[in-house]
Amino acid sequence: MSTALDISDCGDAAVRVTCRTTDREQAWHVVHALSGWLDERRHDHHLRGAIATYDAVLVEFDAALTDHDAVRGLVRAAVAGSRPRSIRAPRHFDIPVVYGGDHGPDLARVAEQQGIDVDRVVAIHTEQALVMRCFGAPAGAPMLDGPRFPLPVPRLASPRAAVPAGSVAVAGRQAVVSARQAPGGWCVIGRTPRTLVDVDRDPPAAFAPGDTFRFFPIRAAEWSAYEGRLDA
Amino acid sequence: MRETARVQVVEPGLSTVQDLGRADGPRSGQMAGGALDQYSARMANTLVAGDPDAALLELVALDFAATTDADLLVAVTGADADVTVDGHPQPQWEPVVWRAGTRLAVRRIRSGLRVYLSVHGTFHTRRLLGSCAPDTVLGFGAPLDGDAVLTVAVDCPPVVQPWFDIPFFRLGARPHPYSGRWNVDLTDGPDVGEFGPTAARLVATDYVVGDRSNHIGLRLRRADRGPLPGREVATEVLSRGVPVGAVEVPDGDELLVLHRGRGVTAGYPVLAVVTSVGLSRLGQARPGETVRFRHVTCAAAIADYRRQQAHLAEIRTRVQTVYTSLGIPLHFTDRHFTDRHGHPHRTSTTPSATELQESA
Repeated sequence: MSTALDISDCGDAAVRVTCRTTDREQAWHVVHALSGWLDERRHDHHLRGAIATYDAVLVEFDAALTDHDAVRGLVRAAVAGSRPRSIRAPRHFDIPVVYGGDHGPDLARVAEQQGIDVDRVVAIHTEQALVMRCFGAPAGAPMLDGPRFPLPVPRLASPRAAVPAGSVAVAGRQAVVSARQAPGGWCVIGRTPRTLVDVDRDPPAAFAPGDTFRFFPIRAAEWSAYEGRLDA
Repeated sequence: MRETARVQVVEPGLSTVQDLGRADGPRSGQMAGGALDQYSARMANTLVAGDPDAALLELVALDFAATTDADLLVAVTGADADVTVDGHPQPQWEPVVWRAGTRLAVRRIRSGLRVYLSVHGTFHTRRLLGSCAPDTVLGFGAPLDGDAVLTVAVDCPPVVQPWFDIPFFRLGARPHPYSGRWNVDLTDGPDVGEFGPTAARLVATDYVVGDRSNHIGLRLRRADRGPLPGREVATEVLSRGVPVGAVEVPDGDELLVLHRGRGVTAGYPVLAVVTSVGLSRLGQARPGETVRFRHVTCAAAIADYRRQQAHLAEIRTRVQTVYTSLGIPLHFTDRHFTDRHGHPHRTSTTPSATELQESA
């Protein structure tokens, strides 16, 4: 792997590894492969875990047993050796969505901003599978690539105090499905009846970065037929 | 000997069954959670010969009382409080005998916010990703209510304490230093450069803990109302993993110090990171109390943390000696234990609870 990495101290028990490249796709592959490689070896090297997002990995460790230099060495060994690969095969999820109305209060706003009609917004949002890039807050929501709208989607001027779980939202060139109710400034265009993160099962979520999500429209009357856990 | 003790909560206050948190949470986007004062929780468990990450009770601010139907050996650490068994005062930071049919009360929590109550035995708890720690965002776990009955698997023989009001154990566990102000160390964050010289406003001035502080994060304002550190660049920050202890400046008038309930990713620059030792102290800081930050290097912070871990190991050794002489089973398992030099402890020197029972 010829990619340049910056490794910064991030408190007494973590380092932040940042991939320096203008190729965002490559950066994402590098940091997720690295986090997978480190995660597999976490017990041998006193690591607490590795959290990869877009171009960075936070590597947390047990400061009683190892330190920044040792973890730096491990990261360099990972990238100097054979290219680390993620071991998990990607999963695919189909997500039923009720678009517009109370379920998607910003659908018309997004259509107007994009200069297309509401049906076209839904068509673009459902036309292709979107890649999950990382977990987001709160509760490990899947952060997805954005659908191919003509323009980036601006955030709301004033965020909502409470966006319900299951809300399907877009902003910039990104998309998300809310895992739990929370304040939010993204444009909510629909809502899924599926439960993404379920504390009655362990692990509570079936998805991980690299998985793909494809949305499909359902009618509000069909809501209860689609309730339940999200499975691949 | 009973196999299960039933602890009937009489006055729940604001209490939860806790542990050190969900180590496997952050990798799947979930908060670590767990005891905000990790040091006091570890020590409470050590004093009852349990693993540091065993389940125990966290009592926040309010009075707590419970009864037990079996003799228990317990320890109470964390903030100062009036601890009594049927009205008789009991020491904190030492094991205490809690007799069947009596009422244990923890009242007037002060000089801190959180008290930890550990039990010699194993709480029966529900777990998610290997931890019983409540997660308020996911909706896992809940504060105990006034009818709560906790069951504990116990194997402790009767501990005879001939002089009821005289403390039975003197193991010497040290509480947090507190002198009316919480002194908290922090290291430079990876994005400190974005704050230029304003980063210096973090140290050498008093901050006051705000009312909106909780397990997700503490909000702090300057006591003198002076200016906060401010970011000098305006570029957008991609979402990144943020450590527990990250100091951010999300708006103009308050600092945010993320604690164990933090969302694991965020798009804010990290100005500084509170040390592992400092985080346990911040877990005790009450709204209205004063915090003074001090800048240290990562090496100094690690040395400080290892001293704290060495003290835990030292107490563990004393517990091992004293309990063994009294015939009290040890519930330590070796994977958690490191000696004062940070080396994993060898299995052969620690008799297991089963071995002790067999030899008894």
